[in-house]
Amino acid sequence: MKGARNDPAVAAAVFVLWALLALFVIYPLAMLFARVLTDQGGFTTAGLATLLTDRHQIRAFFNSLLLALMVGTAGTVLGFLFAFTAARGRLPRWLLTIIDAAVLLPLVSPPFTTAIAMIFSFGPRGLITYDLLGLKGVTVYGLASTFSSEVLTFFPIAYLTLRPLLAAIDSNVEGMAFSLGASRWRVFRTVTLPLTIPGLANAFLLLFAASLADFATPLILAGNQFPVLPTQAYLQITGLFDLRGGAILSLALLLPALAVFLLQRYWVSRRYYVTITGKGAGHTPFDSISPTVRAVLLAACAAIALVVVYFYLLLLYASLVVALGADHAFTLRHYRVIFTDGWKAIGDTLIIAGLAMPLGGVYGILLGYLVTKKAFAGRRAMELVAMINYALPGTIVGIAYLIAFNEAPLELTGTALIIVACYVFRYGPTGIRATVALLQQIDKSLEEASQGLGAGSGATFRRVTLPLIMPAFFAGLGVVFIRSMTAISATIFLVSIGWTLITVRILENITELSLGPAAAFSVLVVAIVFAVIALIGWALRRFRAPGAMPMTSLLGG
Amino acid sequence: METIGVQVDGLSKRYAHRVKGEIYAARDVRLDVRPGEFLTLLGPSGCGKTTTLRMIAGYEKPDAGRVLFGGEDVTDLPANKRNIGFVFQNYALFPHLSVFENVAYGLRVRAQANDAIAKSVGDVLALVGLAGYEQQFSAQLSGGEQQRVALARAIVIRPRVLLFDEPLSNLDAKLRVQMRQEIRDLQRRLAITTIYVTHDQEEAMAVSDRIAVMHQGSVVQEGTAEDLYHRPASRFVAQFVGRMNLVAGRVESVAGESVQIAALGTQVSARAPQRRLTPGEAVQLIVRPESVELLRGDGGPLRATVVSRTFLGEKIEYVVRCAGEELQAVRYNAGAGDLIPEGAAVCVRFAADAVTVLAEPQA
Repeated sequence: MKGARNDPAVAAAVFVLWALLALFVIYPLAMLFARVLTDQGGFTTAGLATLLTDRHQIRAFFNSLLLALMVGTAGTVLGFLFAFTAARGRLPRWLLTIIDAAVLLPLVSPPFTTAIAMIFSFGPRGLITYDLLGLKGVTVYGLASTFSSEVLTFFPIAYLTLRPLLAAIDSNVEGMAFSLGASRWRVFRTVTLPLTIPGLANAFLLLFAASLADFATPLILAGNQFPVLPTQAYLQITGLFDLRGGAILSLALLLPALAVFLLQRYWVSRRYYVTITGKGAGHTPFDSISPTVRAVLLAACAAIALVVVYFYLLLLYASLVVALGADHAFTLRHYRVIFTDGWKAIGDTLIIAGLAMPLGGVYGILLGYLVTKKAFAGRRAMELVAMINYALPGTIVGIAYLIAFNEAPLELTGTALIIVACYVFRYGPTGIRATVALLQQIDKSLEEASQGLGAGSGATFRRVTLPLIMPAFFAGLGVVFIRSMTAISATIFLVSIGWTLITVRILENITELSLGPAAAFSVLVVAIVFAVIALIGWALRRFRAPGAMPMTSLLGG
Repeated sequence: METIGVQVDGLSKRYAHRVKGEIYAARDVRLDVRPGEFLTLLGPSGCGKTTTLRMIAGYEKPDAGRVLFGGEDVTDLPANKRNIGFVFQNYALFPHLSVFENVAYGLRVRAQANDAIAKSVGDVLALVGLAGYEQQFSAQLSGGEQQRVALARAIVIRPRVLLFDEPLSNLDAKLRVQMRQEIRDLQRRLAITTIYVTHDQEEAMAVSDRIAVMHQGSVVQEGTAEDLYHRPASRFVAQFVGRMNLVAGRVESVAGESVQIAALGTQVSARAPQRRLTPGEAVQLIVRPESVELLRGDGGPLRATVVSRTFLGEKIEYVVRCAGEELQAVRYNAGAGDLIPEGAAVCVRFAADAVTVLAEPQA
């Protein structure tokens, strides 16, 4: 490794990155704390005290934890079910592709899609509750619907965490146990499951964090009876114009979010027994599941996949009829609406996503490369700081940006820049992680071989390292773009008359009860995102020479 | 290109070990590789041979000592300025580049013209028997083919020194024998000074002009394969290079090159080591299994019983008990009638000039 001291280019890059991190990560967070802990120039804990004594807010806090706990548990179980079936079910390729697609849909959708589909299905005039079962006066809002909707939205994260882990378990270990006389169930219980436990813990924590931070689903579905922190913080700011109150509420989210992040990163992830190399382990030397079990697993997966597919078809249908539940005549009027009235939101979103994508991609591989391959003071700290905005719930980041960039000299509210910066520093870290993971897989002898053949460090980077980490670059591009199209929790605080986003328009449509345009917007976003994923997939195949490492599970963040 | 020698002058490298504290991976290693010579560093894993090789290549910085290429001190030169060809144990082929581009890599770095590169790469691929493989990728190649690409990539730049780090350990036994012969032939043809690292003594003997045996970071003996095999300087070398019987004895008389030793209840004549022996001194005798002759019947001074027999096709390995000690013996298979059954009484005779007194004094 070469130090920053004898490489001016590295020193310059490190300096610029630190400046950016200070400005867009540390400074906003510091301002958030300052706003909470000061009042008219003096230090005060009065704000915190109010929070701790307000029963309504305490309820929101515990509701958030309860919901996250439930979603974490159920989502992990569901994710494991899918991962195990995919890894051990000896499924034909086409079936795997279908399962993958159905499972990935929720991950790449705008945040309200399952929530809208829940209302369409189980609302007072819902397809299932009213039309099918004839129930009247049903209320869809509350814990049950929020929980189901979040589980369906987030369980793919667990699937993506667990599937490579299960695939990487050396099948000979299971075969060995089997040959020692253990039954299939016993092999599963005493070998497969224990080897997966760190992965299960990891998946649980990721889901816990996702649910804790989720803003969109509870906003639509939780209703008055089940307040949670992110929505309370939002309502405090937009409804009561109480920025400080919102800041205090968002900080209440910080503690559990931080605990989960540290636990996930520094405890669970170091306890893996199985190394995921990206290289598939050999085939299981015995049928690790019996035909009956296989059929049951497949049926369970198919049922859940069908629910997901049903939700999305329903959304498509709703976008093409006058009013779902009332008038099912075919119409394109909702699409006309979004392409006329909604055109500004579409244009703005595409511009912002288009700007954030390359910036986030470059930021990801640059920082990932520097912290893995170059020795400079504080590189661990840099990696950690870079992860902060990624790990924190969007509500915190959004409110922090709102507070920090509202006044001169850094008055950025109302500009596209603030939204772009938010996306780059919030979703660019996916690229950082992908880069670090890829670089750690690349044997150092490759770079030594290049060096031995006469290449200097610059030529080695350009000719060997860079081509090998291109997949991480594209992954970074993809994630930043997708999230720029679908995110809302942070940026809802940052939109303005000048710059708005599709997701914000969807929310407005829902609150105005124009569900048709909301559905049309959602369909459009899903279509654009799928097109971009296809494009990135094509680029990955083009730039990934045979033999390079496969990049999977990149959308899990 | 002029062929140069390599001098390694007191190279040392220390590591902080988690359990043992600070240890020497290499300790005052001295080597003098003559121009065009094939020298092998032989030793068990952890003996410091790879560390030494990597310091010669410039991949590791020594804590002390110098590396000289043709008299020029290259100790402070990074690997990319040393003009070396290095073949890695895992081949380290660039997975994103074709065979052609892998081999062309060093030439592209040297900014050669495209047609010159195409010619050089074509020539060297033909040389290693991979003509027609240009557009393949490493993932599509067998282990032996990958090995040849790695070799082609290393020699195409016409390196001053060729370095091999256990290049054959990932190949199966048959291929290993074939590849080591090819490496040796190629090295002779190109006359490139070569340093080769292996833990396989047979491989070392097959390819090398000279072998340096390493143990615990130091070179313990240097010489031709015959030197090491017949005149091991220490018990370690004797055990590591080939198999042997170690027999305790006592010096009876010394007469020039030859000594008489009391051992196995009789008198054995042996070759004397470099140092002086005094009558009455306790010594260890080294007898290689192939020098232990087994004669049917009981017509000799050394009577023995066959304890076990291992049939290996071309040869048969016996263990016999003789004066309370177990000796290993190897006989070439002369035919089915030549086998001696287990439990049979035999006579043991040592081939003339085959018994050596271990040079190391008894502790």
